[in-house]
Amino acid sequence: MNTEWFIVLSALLFATGAMGVLIRRSPMVILLCLELMLNAGNLALVAFSRMVGNGQGQVFAVIVMVIAACEVVVGLGLIVAIFRRRLPLNVDDLRELRG
Amino acid sequence: MSSAILWTPLVFGLVGLFLPKKAVGWWAVLGTVVTLGLAIAVAIGFDGNSSGLQYAVDEPWISGLGVDYSLGVDGLNLFLILLTAVLWTGGVAFAAFREQERPKTFYFLMLVAETATLGSFLAQDLLLFVLFFDLMLVPFYFLFGAWGHDRSAEGGLTASAATLKMIVYTLIGSLLMLVAAIATAVLAADGGHITFSIAALGEHGLSHGSQQWIFWFFAAAFLVKMPAFMLHGWMPDAYRAAPLPALAVFSGVLAKVGAYGFLRVVLPLFPDATVEFQEVILVIALASILYGSVMAFTQTNVRLIAGYSSVAQLGFITAGIFALSADGSDGAVLQMVNHGLVVAPLFVIVAILAERTGSEDIREMGGMALRAPVLAALFLIVALATLAMPGSANFIGEFYILNGLFQAKIVFAFIAISGVAMSAYYALRLYQQTMHNRKPEGLLSREIGVRDGLVLVPLVLCILGLALYPQLILERTAPTVEKTVAKVRGGEAPAAQLASKEP
Amino acid sequence: MSATAWAWLVLLFPLLGSIVIGLGFRALPAKVAGVVGTVSIGLAFACGIGALLSLLGEDPEARHHASALWDYASVAGLDIKLGIFVDPLSVFMVLVVSGVSTLIHLYSYGYMQSDEGYHRFFSYLNFFVFSMLLLVLAGNFVLLTVGWAFVGFASYALISFWYRRETATRAGMKAFVINVVGDIGLVLAAFLIFRELGSFDYGTVFERAPETFTTNEWSITAICLLLLVGAFAKSAQLPLHTWLPDAMEGPTPVSSLIHAATMVTAGVYLIARTHVLFELAPTAADVAAFTGLATLLVAATMALVMTDLKRAIAYSTMSQIGYMIMGVSIGAYSAGMFHLMTHAFFKALLFMAAGSIIAAMANNQDIDRMGGFGKAMRFTSITFVCGALALAAFPGTSGFFSKDEILAFAEARGGMYLIFTMLGYVGALMTAVYSFRLVFRVLPGKPCAEAQELIETGHVAHEAPKNPATGEAEDTDVGFPGSEHHIAEQSAPMRVAMGVLAVLALVGGLIQIPGVDDVVTGFLDPVWEGSPLAAIEPSLGQDYVGLGIGGAIALLGIGIAYVLYVARPELPGKLETRLRPLHTLFANKWYFDEAIDFLVVRPALAIGRFANRVFERLVVDGLVSGTEGTVRGAGGVVRAVQNGFVRSYALLLIAGFAGLALYFLLSSS
Repeated sequence: MNTEWFIVLSALLFATGAMGVLIRRSPMVILLCLELMLNAGNLALVAFSRMVGNGQGQVFAVIVMVIAACEVVVGLGLIVAIFRRRLPLNVDDLRELRG
Repeated sequence: MSSAILWTPLVFGLVGLFLPKKAVGWWAVLGTVVTLGLAIAVAIGFDGNSSGLQYAVDEPWISGLGVDYSLGVDGLNLFLILLTAVLWTGGVAFAAFREQERPKTFYFLMLVAETATLGSFLAQDLLLFVLFFDLMLVPFYFLFGAWGHDRSAEGGLTASAATLKMIVYTLIGSLLMLVAAIATAVLAADGGHITFSIAALGEHGLSHGSQQWIFWFFAAAFLVKMPAFMLHGWMPDAYRAAPLPALAVFSGVLAKVGAYGFLRVVLPLFPDATVEFQEVILVIALASILYGSVMAFTQTNVRLIAGYSSVAQLGFITAGIFALSADGSDGAVLQMVNHGLVVAPLFVIVAILAERTGSEDIREMGGMALRAPVLAALFLIVALATLAMPGSANFIGEFYILNGLFQAKIVFAFIAISGVAMSAYYALRLYQQTMHNRKPEGLLSREIGVRDGLVLVPLVLCILGLALYPQLILERTAPTVEKTVAKVRGGEAPAAQLASKEP
Repeated sequence: MSATAWAWLVLLFPLLGSIVIGLGFRALPAKVAGVVGTVSIGLAFACGIGALLSLLGEDPEARHHASALWDYASVAGLDIKLGIFVDPLSVFMVLVVSGVSTLIHLYSYGYMQSDEGYHRFFSYLNFFVFSMLLLVLAGNFVLLTVGWAFVGFASYALISFWYRRETATRAGMKAFVINVVGDIGLVLAAFLIFRELGSFDYGTVFERAPETFTTNEWSITAICLLLLVGAFAKSAQLPLHTWLPDAMEGPTPVSSLIHAATMVTAGVYLIARTHVLFELAPTAADVAAFTGLATLLVAATMALVMTDLKRAIAYSTMSQIGYMIMGVSIGAYSAGMFHLMTHAFFKALLFMAAGSIIAAMANNQDIDRMGGFGKAMRFTSITFVCGALALAAFPGTSGFFSKDEILAFAEARGGMYLIFTMLGYVGALMTAVYSFRLVFRVLPGKPCAEAQELIETGHVAHEAPKNPATGEAEDTDVGFPGSEHHIAEQSAPMRVAMGVLAVLALVGGLIQIPGVDDVVTGFLDPVWEGSPLAAIEPSLGQDYVGLGIGGAIALLGIGIAYVLYVARPELPGKLETRLRPLHTLFANKWYFDEAIDFLVVRPALAIGRFANRVFERLVVDGLVSGTEGTVRGAGGVVRAVQNGFVRSYALLLIAGFAGLALYFLLSSS
């Protein structure tokens, strides 16, 4: 199969994820969309790895998965913490960092 | 040896942080004295006939970027290093004789400032120079801001506002300089190996077009530091806010770093632009002389009289450098030392006067000479040196500067010399209004104590010693200065013009 | 010992004296300070004699020596050594300066004894003598400037010696600033000399000048005019003279030493010293001569109407220096120097006598209030008359020979220079009138209150002293003759000083009788060797006709003064009303002060105020606010982005990456 299809799929997935990050307000969904983007990246890496014909790209994909797992742990931890303190689960209300 | 001088103050400063509060002042004095001793040792061992670097240290520091830890002493900076060491000793000792708030931090900052200043004089690497140049600002930011005087009641600024103003000004200058320094190295490397060594950069030479804009970036930084006319907006507020021991060294030394930068960096690295913009800078220098003098004789605040007189003096120094002749630049180096030696005791005297009168306004002073003849005599010597009385080394400095200017650009010399007449008026007025005339009611007038005398008398002795033998500085600086200037003039020997005139 | 070694000693003693007295002001008793001061100057005079003898022992052609201690500031082609130049001219000046100074120190020893600032006074006075000797011995133009400025400073310090008097401090400042203007002239001249001749050294400069310049070339004219600025400021010539009358605020010995006998004649010395240059620039020399002439006449008119005793003598000094400047500028070098010497004698004497009278008057200097001192203070009166006779050029006195020698030379030079002879005689007439005006108004007549008290009790009980100018009480702590101020006549050192000078004023001229001894001319001639002007010599006939006319004019002037002030005392008042505008002009000193105030002082202050109020606030601070505004605006833009919405950060991030990706895509294709 041609590599291009994988790349197109990866791009679509990435765009969907990015769109989700930009428009959704629930931290939960944003986290899911981030995963989507990372996995779009993974797909691209694996596809290129297959195209080049060695395993290096796949190694990178594994590392990205590990990082994604860590990120989800932290992210979910934050969300749980926010929920525990009975704050609204809406990222637009959480803007203490504005300058 | 160079490294030892450079880091001694910092080491003493760091150790001082762990000492008991009472001892830290004297510890700091010890630090400055040790530094002074090292500086004197360097001066004694200095070979006055050589124009090259001595006591050079050159270690790769950030080798990927071509930045070296490169220090060295030559005719340009030898006496400025000595001046720094002398004035810091005086300033710190003066502070140590008095109670300071939060003494540990105060002395730490003072000593950091000394290291930074010595660093900018010693650095032979452009990026190192820029680094120390900016580092100088940090301790003074805190010193002025936290130990300064709030002048908002007198219609001035609060200490922190005044300091902020100073920082904004100088930081803009130094950021431009940072950009310019990087640009110089990158453009000079031209794709090859990057180096920031000033000597190496001087040999490569930039294209005429790049020199033009880089010149102004450096000039901006140096002119703000001095400060020159139109860029001196930070000076009045900062001078009024600053604590006096810090101000004495600030005004005595830091302003000279700007002038020194011209000699060390601008002239060797951008000779074409220097020649091209010679007259522009001369106009700025003249404007500084005239404006500083005129302002100095209308001010009534003693700090500002001294401050504006510095603007005028730095104008002379700049004019001497940009006369682009050996004698002008020789005079400029001499005058940098002289001015430092004069302005620091002036601020010490201002502090002493302020303690007695509770005011810094000359209209509220007077008649102090009666009960304080020794103070009056010391002040008189300092005032006469400030006005470049013939017979003082300041006169020789100005004489060389003006002679250089006279032989190069006669019209400028005629205008500049009117600043001399004005300096006679403002310096004497300062002396007369404080020491002579009738004493206002209730004014406390007493002789200076032994302790202040210990600070003031050695400085005045330096002034007198140089007055008798300015050749001490001139003959050691001349070889380096001549080399620097000859480069700008395209190898033409500075004396050639005169030799042809001789019958 | 060689002449230069003696000359170094001449410099050393006064400097040592000044330092010893200055540093020991707490330790030394007052008397010792006075003795140290006087002896050190006396030693300088003795060394000056030593130098004279050693010069006389040499061949006249070889009587010039240079000597240097060390390189003062010699790099980059400039040759500035700490060097002196000894020749008959400088030795002549050394002798006049140190000789008169010794006597004045002696006088001050008595005069200042009840003054609190005794040590300070002698320290300054010794420093002044040192500076003046440095000025005359300097071997190059830079050291000359140093001496030039030092005497200016010493003069400042001594004018404002009683520094609690505002009038005194202001006068000191004025003198200093005007003198600095003179210094600047000198410095610029030095630059120009260096530019053209490549040296500052006298020997080199005078040797190269005739080869380098053609007569009246612009550069040599410019050099001479700049030198003249220095000379005029120091010698109180128009229009830089306004400081001299104000300088009378200082103690009287100061007026006597600095503002009559020595410092103010420095301009004359300068022109004589650089005569080689002036002969190459006849235009500049003529400018100097005419300025001298104008000063001579203008100052004489002012001296005619002044009612302040010391100021009247001060204007007379200006006028006499006008003679000297005129003399050395037209080429009568020896005559000018000779007049400098005799003037030092009789003018120092006049000031001393005036000081003695003023002390008796409790520092009141108004001659309208004086009278009858002839009887009250016999010794002072006699010396005063001696001085006045010499000043009026009474036949046989020193002024008689010296003044007429200048005028006879002008006559011998002929042509345009006859103007100088004729107007010089007009000046001489005025001189005789004003000098005897002072004599007749102060000495004879009905004794005033103070004089009466002196006659009756031999002592004046002074009130607390007041400043005559402002009327405020003097601050006697700082050093001011207090109420028990001694009457001059009772102090032996003062009598000795005045007596010696009186003798010198009367007979000092006998060393230079035309055709008889010519001591001064003979001694100074080697200095002007090769000068075409010095070769002009008035014939004996011209000399004696001149002396005859001069003597007649002096007698006539004294006669006029007698008629006006003794025989018909109502006449001056009538003349005053008749010539009201002229009198107002003279009495207001020709409005020079007002003109300078209007032309220089006010504009400078106005510029300063403008700079302070408008410029500093609008332009400089405007620049700051501008910078501040820019920074703040830029900050605002950045702040808007930091709105805290996670989404917008993400958008920025993505947009940034998209931009980067686009860039790489486009640049790779």
